[in-house]
Amino acid sequence: MKHIKYIALAFIGGLTISCETNFLEPVPEVAVSSAGYFQNDEQIETGVIGIYDAIQGVNSTSLDDNRGVQIEYYLTEMRSDNTRTKSQEGEAAQFEEFNVTTQNGLVANYYRSFFNVIYRANLVLDNLENATTGSSAKFEAEAKFARAYAYFNLVRLFGDLPLVNGLIGPLDTDIAFTRVPAANIYELIVSDFEFAANNLDNSQKNRASRAAAQGLLAKVHLTLGNYTQAQVLCESIIGGDYSLESNFSDIFYNESNNEVIFAVGYNPGVEADSQDFSAEWMNGVGRTAGVNYVTNEAIEALETFGGNRASLSYRQDLSQATQYQVTKYLPNGEDGGADGKSFNTDATMSGNDWIVLRYADVLLMHVESILAGGQATSAAAAISSFQQVRNRAGISDTVSEITKQDLLNERRVELAFENQRLFDLIRFGVAQEKLSAFSGANGYGFSATDLLLPIPQREINLSNGKMTQNPGY
Amino acid sequence: MTHLSYIKNSSKLVKAFLCLFAMTLTVSCDFEYELPEAGSIADMTAPLASFSASQSEDNYLSYSFSNLSSSAINFEWDLGDGNTSTSKDVSNTYPSEGSYVVVLTVSDALGAKNTISKIVTVVKPPAPAAKVPSVLEASFEDNSLPDGSGDGRDSWRNDFGGVIQITSSPVQDGKQAAKFPSAGDRVAYQSGLEVTPNTDYVITYYYTIKTSPEGSITLNVLGGAIGSLSEVSSKSLASHVGTDQTDANTYVKVDLEFNSGANETISLLITNEGSESRLDNVSIDLK
Repeated sequence: MKHIKYIALAFIGGLTISCETNFLEPVPEVAVSSAGYFQNDEQIETGVIGIYDAIQGVNSTSLDDNRGVQIEYYLTEMRSDNTRTKSQEGEAAQFEEFNVTTQNGLVANYYRSFFNVIYRANLVLDNLENATTGSSAKFEAEAKFARAYAYFNLVRLFGDLPLVNGLIGPLDTDIAFTRVPAANIYELIVSDFEFAANNLDNSQKNRASRAAAQGLLAKVHLTLGNYTQAQVLCESIIGGDYSLESNFSDIFYNESNNEVIFAVGYNPGVEADSQDFSAEWMNGVGRTAGVNYVTNEAIEALETFGGNRASLSYRQDLSQATQYQVTKYLPNGEDGGADGKSFNTDATMSGNDWIVLRYADVLLMHVESILAGGQATSAAAAISSFQQVRNRAGISDTVSEITKQDLLNERRVELAFENQRLFDLIRFGVAQEKLSAFSGANGYGFSATDLLLPIPQREINLSNGKMTQNPGY
Repeated sequence: MTHLSYIKNSSKLVKAFLCLFAMTLTVSCDFEYELPEAGSIADMTAPLASFSASQSEDNYLSYSFSNLSSSAINFEWDLGDGNTSTSKDVSNTYPSEGSYVVVLTVSDALGAKNTISKIVTVVKPPAPAAKVPSVLEASFEDNSLPDGSGDGRDSWRNDFGGVIQITSSPVQDGKQAAKFPSAGDRVAYQSGLEVTPNTDYVITYYYTIKTSPEGSITLNVLGGAIGSLSEVSSKSLASHVGTDQTDANTYVKVDLEFNSGANETISLLITNEGSESRLDNVSIDLK
């Protein structure tokens, strides 16, 4: 009888314990984990900061780390007719030679980095229920902005992609490895940017803003051929909170100036918060011998159409007179002394912000939206925007008509080495023609299928036969 | 004894050798090279031909072909006008407008082939014609809607003010014109007029105002549509305030220029103030 009591007690105790999941799955008290985190605005905001951290990437010499936007120039500028490696060798030279392999580590790193941005955005979006009403929309807008920005870069580089618009686990292989048509990816991009534009203000430059969302959405619409929508968006930025810097070099060396709409922020000297691309573009200062060196074709364009931008965009390598370097992002603004590679601060931990969108780009997109796929325009609104950009460069002759080629030249010299050229060529429908000629003249191996990068072989392998490769690889 | 046993043993050995030899023979007869039939792996990546064509911007007769084939190393292009090529990507300038059948045959190192053909229609791209909007009930006549109905003002009704009146004298065109009483509480509004963005237009209309009291009649060209009158100032592309009160029976012609800007449709809004006014014969044309 006594025993039965004890057994009954034990039974009740067991019942009580089994009811509390905390007992079986306790939330760690001495470490942070995603379960049980995101309880209030402050914690959710750290998740939002984490998204920008993913875009910023890890300053590291190892491709095992997600390098984020720090290696974007390899995949974009060095795959155009603007830049190349100095030594023309190694994995990095695959880009300029249009000979990128499916095992290219930089391509795999970028793919992984930007899907990590998408993951972190989805993590915030999945944990908004604990945000206060006042902050929830802003967090959602920032996360959607970042997701759209990441997808817009990825879809232009890789074409059809897995559409991940929520949190997925290792077993969700259908979502992770099913390539969805680019048109569906663009639908998500447009709706995310629209949400961001409607729920943000223009108070930030290193975080998402209304104008940043509107400007990038304008570029999306130009890519899709929706010219009137692009024009409306550009016109809502023009005449607002932004203006051209009167001195071209201030855009890059006077951070968070009036021309910058959205830039990825970096701080010098802090390993966790700095960038190394400024050093890599110099002669043997970073890990490489020198990358993103300027092509003869780009020099010719800058000298012909650049006005005073030419001397502020590139220089002769002081240690190697036959080579030319980009000077828009000199490490921490230092010129490197007599040999061009002696810096007082640690160049491999530079703090130059990476500009994603600036006002001059918006003005030239405005011209492009009015041109609307045609060969020329003489609309007054287009000429006004065009002329502002040229006047700042010291080119004051008046223009009565802007041809498509004029606009392409202007974009090339205004936005040289800012990772725009390849996308401009593709958007203007002249990439195959221009890059074939460039490739032929330099003995590279361009073919039409090089306009899309290969899906990293690692993804194809992991997909177990589900994921298809782009043609030509 | 030892010797004998050796022989005996050796005969055993020979037997064993013979046995082994026979086996070896048997085995070697069973094994043959099995190429390429049984046991070989099928070509899982057969060549697949694919290409896209794009018309040159400069010369409409020129086309660039992008080779999108997979698992292929040899390419044979038949461009449909007698030209052929074995390059990966090709471009071709056609002799004249017309339809050409472009055939791409691709093959891999095993000789497996795949073919795709597409018809390329070479035509001169039409110059994009700017849209000329047609104003409905532009002269405020009865039964002048496209389907033959309408009271001359159906297209101009709105929630911003009372419906306009119709007058039969004086008119500038046809038998009727719009009339705006001196109270200024009538509004004419027509939206959804399709235009080409960033194009210069001129809108022409005629108005007259009674000689007294002092008054005016205003026509606003608006980008897109409005939901309330408070949006007028932000969406106005052009406006004209008519104040000529010299003769109540003589219509004054107005030519108002505007640029459609970032709009695919425009609307017209007509209001008056102070004095009874008339308006007639609205038309829009390219500048």
